[in-house]
Amino acid sequence: MSQPQTHRVEFIGNAKTYFGIWIVNILLSIVTLGIYSAWAKVRTRRYFAQNTLIDKRRFDYHATGGQILIGRIIVVLGLAVLAIPLVNIVAAIALFFALPWLLNRSIAFNARMTSFSGVRFGFKGSYGRSFLVFILYPILAALTLFTTYPFSARATHRYIIGQHRFGTANFGFDSPIGPFYKAFLFAVGWSALVLVVGFFALGGTQLLYTLAMSQQPGGQPDPAFIWSIVLFYVVLLVAILPAGFIYQAYLRNAVYAQATLEGGYRFHSSLSPVKLMWIALSNAVVVACTLGLMLPWAKIRMARYLADHTQVHAAGSLDEFVGQESEKVSALGDAYTDIEGIDLGVAI
Amino acid sequence: MSRSEQGGSLAGHGFAPQTSRRIPARLVWAADTARLEDAQGTLLVQGPVQKTEQLPGGPLLVHLKDGWHFEAEPGENELKSLGGLHRPGLLARMEEWHPRLILFSLFCLLSAFVIWRWGLGLLVAIGLAVTPETAVRGIDSANIEIIDRTLAEDTGLSQQAQQKVQAIFDDLRKAAPPAPWGEYHLLFRDMPEVGPNAFALPGGSIIITDQLVERFEDPDIIAAVLGHEIAHVSERHALAQLYRAGSTYLLITLVAGDPGPLLQDLLREGNVLLSLSYSRQHETEADRLGVRIANKAGYDGAALAGFFELLAAESEGTGPGWLSTHPAAGDRIMQIRAYSTEAE
Repeated sequence: MSQPQTHRVEFIGNAKTYFGIWIVNILLSIVTLGIYSAWAKVRTRRYFAQNTLIDKRRFDYHATGGQILIGRIIVVLGLAVLAIPLVNIVAAIALFFALPWLLNRSIAFNARMTSFSGVRFGFKGSYGRSFLVFILYPILAALTLFTTYPFSARATHRYIIGQHRFGTANFGFDSPIGPFYKAFLFAVGWSALVLVVGFFALGGTQLLYTLAMSQQPGGQPDPAFIWSIVLFYVVLLVAILPAGFIYQAYLRNAVYAQATLEGGYRFHSSLSPVKLMWIALSNAVVVACTLGLMLPWAKIRMARYLADHTQVHAAGSLDEFVGQESEKVSALGDAYTDIEGIDLGVAI
Repeated sequence: MSRSEQGGSLAGHGFAPQTSRRIPARLVWAADTARLEDAQGTLLVQGPVQKTEQLPGGPLLVHLKDGWHFEAEPGENELKSLGGLHRPGLLARMEEWHPRLILFSLFCLLSAFVIWRWGLGLLVAIGLAVTPETAVRGIDSANIEIIDRTLAEDTGLSQQAQQKVQAIFDDLRKAAPPAPWGEYHLLFRDMPEVGPNAFALPGGSIIITDQLVERFEDPDIIAAVLGHEIAHVSERHALAQLYRAGSTYLLITLVAGDPGPLLQDLLREGNVLLSLSYSRQHETEADRLGVRIANKAGYDGAALAGFFELLAAESEGTGPGWLSTHPAAGDRIMQIRAYSTEAE
């Protein structure tokens, strides 16, 4: 029987190698009028999975380009149907009810196509719970002006993490509501603070008055006034952008702390909101200044930061997991969430 | 002797089917069969090599019989001696760090520019060419249905007033280029919340509000406004904007991939801003062609400028109005006058 161990997650990818994969992906996607993009997705996912290690064991991604392409074709055709008038009303209603199913399929596909140390992950979706956490709870949270949003976020994590398995071992997640409110309130609090301070520092009331008075057509506004408007936008940016990262960092730390894997495995994440924001912000600036060519470097840098601040506590050896045959899954749901840019809001 | 018949051996790890056990192992191969042995030299599995794969920067994966696989990280020297076991594919060789990647980068940047500058236009043109008439008619009828339910009442205009406007419309219709889908036809609606205005739908339906007809007696103004709307239809502006936005979105999400948290938002917002500038371009185009249609039909197209001036004068008294959101309105009025003179 082996001793309890703590493994740090390692990311060993580097920008030089990934650059080659990335630029060839784009090149071939252009040359094949977008068709290759399905294979490009697989290659990117594989590169990141294979270079993420725990205890020297690798992750891997097993979807094929053909699967992804078929999924994408069906989704694009489906969205075209949604654009046809009259049909679209029926189709939109159908989509609303199909959404929980599509999201389940997307999560299941990604779990099923991912392996670690030779064993695949799995996800057992339920339409009812998916409907609750992705549609009903967010609507209810909105009705309470998002004051109950942490409850919705917790339910989402309970569902998504709790229904995942690694081989035959089930993941579990439960958490008191406190950490979810902490992440939420720190983020909202930051925005509110910056907005209030910025508003008064810039003489906000005076600004609004000038703004209201300057709405005469043809009138040339004073340049000083334009500058204060620009400053006001800067304040808005400083208020809203960091809030997202504050939330993400605290949420991820809280979620990892409460997630479990059957057999005595626990997780630990120690992101710092300031560091996360710095990386995201400087990445964005560097990528924009290099016409996108530094994107591979930026993605590798972010992956390395996330891995470096993640640990797995294992009660025993990682040798004992057993895989499980499961039913075939199609890439339909995955293609849908890709194309619609749906982010399930799960801390990963 | 061909390379594929060479043999060799490589140290790495073996994985039995459906277990996470990582077994230190050695793969020994000759011709097209391979043996996997553990550290003690005990045979784990033996048989033909089913598939080998290696992504740049990733491990060499050898798939064996019965769901076994072998994973190794061959060093530079070992790679050369892999012989018949695995040879990197064309794709992996393209992806290698090599000066040609500079060429690839330049090609991608250039293509991005070409696609943005001309490719999108081409995609939109193809989309417009294959759009069937029934679909466009459907858009018209669905939109009219929605407008009738939410914003519009039946017209309250007298038969006489309607006939007068219809006569102007018929003159314009004869002077205008043919409608791309269906025919131009005029609809009267009472829309108190919208005020004096007119809209065009892609299939040729043009809606004019009672408020516009009541407010502006001058047939030249009516003709100029309707001419502008007819121009939107004949130039297929509505669908062009829809297709352009749709194809830009697909290209960004599918080809460029996931650009990361901040840039994703930046690209989406940028796309919205670009499509706004695109729609302003359409307005200018419709102004120019509209003036020409009205002039050709025997009206004074420059009356469109008068229409905007009157609206401006009205909004002055009532606070921020339509024009405050269109800072270029002054220029627009001047340009319309210029089009009118150039048309003659």
